Amino acid sequence: MNPLVTIRGLCVDAATSAGTAHLLRGVDLDIGRGRIVGVVGESGSGKTTLASALLRLLPANISRISGEIRFDGEDLLTLDSAAMSALRGTRIAMIFQDPMTALNPLFTIGTHLVDVQQRGTAGLSRRDALTRAEAMLTTVGIPDPKRRLSAYPHQLSGGMRQRVMIAMALLVEPDLLLADEPTTALDATVEAQIVQLLSDLRKDFAGSILFISHHLGLVAELCDDLCVMYAGTVVETGPVAEVLAQPKHPYTAALLACEIDDGDTGRLTSIAGEVPSALSTPPGCVFASRCSHRVPLCDHAPPPFEQLGTRGTACLRHRDLAS
Amino acid sequence: MTTPLVAFRDIHVTFAGRVHALAGIDLSIAEGEIVGLVGESGSGKTTLCKVLTAMVRATSGTIEVAGEPLAARIKRDRLGFRRSTQMLLQDAVASLSPRMRVRALIEEPLTIHGLNAAEGKARIEVLRQRLGLPAEALDKYPHQISGGQARRVAILRALILAPQLIVADEPTAGLDVSVQGELLNLLLDLHAEFALTYLIVSHNLAVVRRITQRTVVMYLGRIVEAAPTAALFAAPRHPYTAALLSTHPSVDPAKRRERIVLQGEIPSVIDRPSGCHFHTRCPHVQPRCRVDDPPLVTETSGRQVRCHFPLTAA
Amino acid sequence: MSPPTGAIPVIVRILSTVGGAVGAAIVLAVVVAAVFAPFVATHDPDAINVFQRFADPSSAHWLGTDQLGRDLYSRLVHGATVAMAVALAAIGMALTIGTLLGIAAALVTARIERFILILFDIIASFPSLVLALAVVAVFGPSTVLVVIIVGVTLIPHFGRVARAQVLTLKNAPFIEAERLLGASTLRIVFRHFMPNIAGPLVVLASMDIPVVITIEAGLSFLGLGVRPPLASWGGLIYDGYSFLSDSKIPVIISSAALGLATLGFTLFGEALRDAVDPRLNRDP
Repeated sequence: MNPLVTIRGLCVDAATSAGTAHLLRGVDLDIGRGRIVGVVGESGSGKTTLASALLRLLPANISRISGEIRFDGEDLLTLDSAAMSALRGTRIAMIFQDPMTALNPLFTIGTHLVDVQQRGTAGLSRRDALTRAEAMLTTVGIPDPKRRLSAYPHQLSGGMRQRVMIAMALLVEPDLLLADEPTTALDATVEAQIVQLLSDLRKDFAGSILFISHHLGLVAELCDDLCVMYAGTVVETGPVAEVLAQPKHPYTAALLACEIDDGDTGRLTSIAGEVPSALSTPPGCVFASRCSHRVPLCDHAPPPFEQLGTRGTACLRHRDLAS
Repeated sequence: MTTPLVAFRDIHVTFAGRVHALAGIDLSIAEGEIVGLVGESGSGKTTLCKVLTAMVRATSGTIEVAGEPLAARIKRDRLGFRRSTQMLLQDAVASLSPRMRVRALIEEPLTIHGLNAAEGKARIEVLRQRLGLPAEALDKYPHQISGGQARRVAILRALILAPQLIVADEPTAGLDVSVQGELLNLLLDLHAEFALTYLIVSHNLAVVRRITQRTVVMYLGRIVEAAPTAALFAAPRHPYTAALLSTHPSVDPAKRRERIVLQGEIPSVIDRPSGCHFHTRCPHVQPRCRVDDPPLVTETSGRQVRCHFPLTAA
Repeated sequence: MSPPTGAIPVIVRILSTVGGAVGAAIVLAVVVAAVFAPFVATHDPDAINVFQRFADPSSAHWLGTDQLGRDLYSRLVHGATVAMAVALAAIGMALTIGTLLGIAAALVTARIERFILILFDIIASFPSLVLALAVVAVFGPSTVLVVIIVGVTLIPHFGRVARAQVLTLKNAPFIEAERLLGASTLRIVFRHFMPNIAGPLVVLASMDIPVVITIEAGLSFLGLGVRPPLASWGGLIYDGYSFLSDSKIPVIISSAALGLATLGFTLFGEALRDAVDPRLNRDP
């Protein structure tokens, strides 16, 4: 079965007062049907830009966008804006880190939930939409859903608002759900509830999810596939368990070593150096300056992204390093 | 028994007459100890830090610093107290005055405390190199340096005063995983080199486990459990601690704990539950918990737990 | 938080707009005239020449002469000195007192805050012209009184902005960090609040210059401000108005000069406001 989303050579540049910033430097990524793809990366890795590019909601200072994003065969980058906005909120939905950015403070939860359905299904009556909304609130674990329908966003806690966002996303039954750090702003015990909810909902949700997080552990628990990003590039992809058990890219390995896990002792690990500025263009591999396996060849040209079965990596030396 | 560096006795803090941010805190910190403080929204960990650093006054109860009541200490020698107790704020970049250069920011403590400028500058240079802060960062403004560098500037500003106690609020918040280890190593090294005492507030349980000696868990303005870190993580006694520890997702499936998902939300400190304040979410709740508020009991092992039915190691 | 804004980028941004460039040119002209009046003027502004009354503009008298044969151009130039002096003195006074009161309102007790705010409301509700009339009726016309009256009426303007700015900064982490280091309140006010609230206050001051110039002109026109024979724009307009039947030129030229200066300062003030507005700094 062909993947739902195929991204090839996606480049995004932004114009800043200090020069051109390379936010994405040629990204290749597949999102399989019904899969949860976790995107991890540190600040400046471009993971949020990737999500914005999928929705084609990029900031105004974007100076160049090239490559292709095939969504169910159609290139999103060539769609006209009317066709694109028809996709948003129907076939592609998004959950944000801060739900308040996506909820209108002047509308009730019920209105939000009805609106998203009526956008997707023309002619749906408000009464039917409200009935479905109430059922969905129960599904996402909101107690007393009838009363919540007439509540305003500010009357709910952060965890409840995030549940409402998930309910909104599920009501439209999108083919692709983008979740950008959906649990980062929540308290630990509430985060655990949302993570539990997301993994429970997998049975009912047929679409694919792109789950963006800086938290490797969370991605490990929740996702099927992993995509590791660094400085605007994808350095490694593959099934989560395989990648984490045997990373092919030195950055993935280094990132794993930095995770503080139960039972570890002694000094903590870190990666020396800094992420290259988005304004600069390293001649070779973007990770070379911090890589402990660097050889002269690494600085000659950016390494190609090699696909080997289900695994993919952009490292010249992945074969040497495997042994 | 030696006098603890800090001793809280039945500290209450009430804001606006009804927000009970702290509801009876008993806590002592020994000299040289590294204590971790964990808790979620409304747990009162921020307020506790502010009371300790004399930014917020306790509504009732006493705090002693090295055996002397805090109020008396401040009256006697305010600047001396400030030198002895320093705090690293969560957002390091925002904690630096935006229109001053790093050099001026670092020299500020010398002026405030009337320290010898020549000696102070020499010490700054030694500390700057020790902390690995590049010399060119001194001529920059706070928004021009990285998060890691801003933290080093904040640490330098604290260390120049030769403090005894450093309160660190979320020392790794906002730092990328790839650099947080370096910062934590630095904090641990400084602890030994400068004979410091740390109170480290963090929601990152892995960090607390790794660098603290004792962990204090707070819920709704009270301590629910306090124990040596290794013992607490190995076998939590309070159901809330157990749930909190289980939320930390591990990359290694073998090390993953079974997640205990608490029902409901954290109650408001304005409208506290009856009985045990945790009973509304406790998976092991008994009828007694709804009416009878458990005290913080010190067990023979020295562990403290506020629960009628503490968990036992399975 | 806006990053530290250097003077050069601000100037560049002001000059990059048409309004800003025009405003800056007029402001520069007025300031040069005001500061170097004796050198810029072609005649003694008070030299009377009854044989040259109401002379038309000529190479000898660029803008003609008034009812006493005084050189109008030179009187306008010297009027600029008076206008700028009054504006700077009044605004300087309002800026200083207003900022201190505003900071005090934000930082000291709630009772003092309420008192200061009520004081601001009382001052702001008093029309400056009426206040001026009352004061002048008691003390007689004087330049110093004009400065004090205008200055006092502008205090709430600066005080409210200063208070609002301090309130937003009061709980900023960097202020907390300074308190944790042991910095005294005075040190925090002067080393940390002042540099961070100065921007908006300076913008406000520049936007108030044309207001003060018009008030001063109005009072002088009514004979309540700067006393003749000292040249002031309001006085020049009044003189021209009084002798309108003899010549229309003095009143037209004096009014035009006042209007142009006011417009220039307004344009400049608006450009300055836009140039330092952090919301317009769209760098990522």
